[in-house]
Amino acid sequence: MTGSMKGLVKALALGLAAACSLAAISSANAEELSLKGKRIGVSAIGTDHYWDLMAFRGIQDRVKELGGEVIALDAGRKDQQQIAQLQTLIAQKPDAIIEQLGNLEVLNPWLLKIRDAGIPLFTVDTATPHAINNTTSNNYNIGAEIALQMVADMGGKGNVLVFNGFYSVPVCKIRYDQLKYVLTSFPDVKIVEPELRDVIPNTVQSAYSNVTDMLTKSPEKGSIGAVWACWDVPQIGATQAVEAAGRNEVKTYGIDGSPEVIKMVMDPKSSAGAVAAQQPYEIGKTSVDNAARYLAGQKVAPFTFVPAVLINKENAAEKGKPFLDAAEKAGVK
Amino acid sequence: MSATTLHTEAGASDETRATGKSAGRRFATLVVRLGAIAAFAAIMAYFVVFAPGFTSSFNLINVVEQSAILGVLAYGMTSVIIGGGSDVTEGGIDLSIAANMGLCAAVYATLLSMGYGDFLSVLAAIGVGMAVGALNALAVVGLGILPLLATLAVLNVAAGMELTLTQNTVVGASSPLLGFLVSGSFLGISALAWALIVFSAIIITIIHGTAFGLRLYAVGGHPEAARAAGLSVPFYVSFTYVQSGFCAAVASVLTVSRLSASTPGSGELLLSVLAAALLGTVFSRRFVPTMGGTLLSVLFIGLLANGFQLLNVSSYWVNGVQGALILLVVAITSFARGSEGSQ
Repeated sequence: MTGSMKGLVKALALGLAAACSLAAISSANAEELSLKGKRIGVSAIGTDHYWDLMAFRGIQDRVKELGGEVIALDAGRKDQQQIAQLQTLIAQKPDAIIEQLGNLEVLNPWLLKIRDAGIPLFTVDTATPHAINNTTSNNYNIGAEIALQMVADMGGKGNVLVFNGFYSVPVCKIRYDQLKYVLTSFPDVKIVEPELRDVIPNTVQSAYSNVTDMLTKSPEKGSIGAVWACWDVPQIGATQAVEAAGRNEVKTYGIDGSPEVIKMVMDPKSSAGAVAAQQPYEIGKTSVDNAARYLAGQKVAPFTFVPAVLINKENAAEKGKPFLDAAEKAGVK
Repeated sequence: MSATTLHTEAGASDETRATGKSAGRRFATLVVRLGAIAAFAAIMAYFVVFAPGFTSSFNLINVVEQSAILGVLAYGMTSVIIGGGSDVTEGGIDLSIAANMGLCAAVYATLLSMGYGDFLSVLAAIGVGMAVGALNALAVVGLGILPLLATLAVLNVAAGMELTLTQNTVVGASSPLLGFLVSGSFLGISALAWALIVFSAIIITIIHGTAFGLRLYAVGGHPEAARAAGLSVPFYVSFTYVQSGFCAAVASVLTVSRLSASTPGSGELLLSVLAAALLGTVFSRRFVPTMGGTLLSVLFIGLLANGFQLLNVSSYWVNGVQGALILLVVAITSFARGSEGSQ
């Protein structure tokens, strides 16, 4: 019975996952976009993570490609610095501002000031009412897909360690809420309380010691089925911890698709169960296209989704390669 | 044995050369110091000419606003250095000040979000800040631990307590006081900028305009002489650490207003605070920390980031330039101290 149940859950989850990842990028090249003579301000909270760096680069490359001037600001993961940069940026009166990630609670009053100053605001992966357009992955899909993959691998029951340190980051909120929503259909999958907190910096080390502690606390095999995080850097530490503890029945799940994690999922012996790989460089570029369209007087939808791909143990060899190639091309390991 | 010989030899040769060398060295120190100030001035002049919008009053007020938090913290650090002596390894230093601010901000935001009013929440933040300062004082004055190590330990205590309180999350906060700090303005200058102006006026008056301030310098400059003159050295040194805690608490209210929340990562500010306090000594003829010098260097650090952004130079350069300047100033200070020592 358990076997057939497991099969059913797995088929259901994978079917849904496949359906979601079929969407294709619509090429923006058909129309002639230009940012000639335009200055675009770009503010990112930090670029220490693969995703952030690639999106930040995508934005800058595309602005230059379209003939615009870019004012690129990296706040080095410091809220104070990002606010100061945004404040000065507003005084610089660029033609548009693209803001990438950060704490929404901190940012929102300042994003409102950008709009009050009459500067069009576009965001990358940051859902806020003040942006004309937010370009992002479909995090509702991603959240559900990775949760369903995890439930499928667990056979619909077991305990999950969840990292929930960044609920104030909008995309993490969506992914976490989707996880919770999926779990309402699988009451035998339980989140271990209290939840774990992922941190920046020292994300990997901290996740490693958190997971090690939890595994020590629950020494029986099978007492923990999976580890979930809303991004994939904690997943690295979690995977290493699981493997070091010899608890190979535990699988790890995360989102973003850092090359390191994709390689882990591709490795059949690794405990990394799956990762939802996004296309941050494309996301960055697409947000610039949206800004260019808006500045050319075209209508722009409030959000644009760039497709993501669920990479799991079954499809890793085939689906993972294009992502690794893209990373290599960009010169990131 | 050979070490002692070497030492006495070095001492003897110092003495013989001292008279002739000290004048020359003092002159060299002056040149280097003026050179540093000229470098500051040159950078500013460059910004004035080439950075678009740099001199607009709107931009300058922005910079004052952006410098408020760093300024208040740097005052705390400066008073600790004044009272404890400016020897970089054994003198006064408060490494816990930024983490203390994080803790106070967490206390303030948490109490506000629990529904306690501004009055009680601010009072609690100030209480916590001064308590952490008192802990530093106890460790340094009471237990005689080197300030560098004592405040490093307290840094970890404060950071740990902040994490325990907030679980490393962002705690949103709003209140009438915060609203006023964010949007209030008087004579076209925003409330946050006023906060720095008023706080600067008060602290400069206390440290440079009263007998108390003068005694504080005496305690830091020459503790034995101060003791002989009947000053209670432990009292003055303790005072500086508690005052540093107070500054951390005031800065925490400003930071919560600016970020609409208490956020993790306040500890990152420590380097800038130290930079401001150390750079400030360049503006004093005797290379001692002064509140005015600290204010100038805080504004300089703010203008540096601002000017680079206006010139569209990568923000990555700011850290590098800041680091280079610290190195320069510390080198000059050691050089100057060498000349004082040989007199």
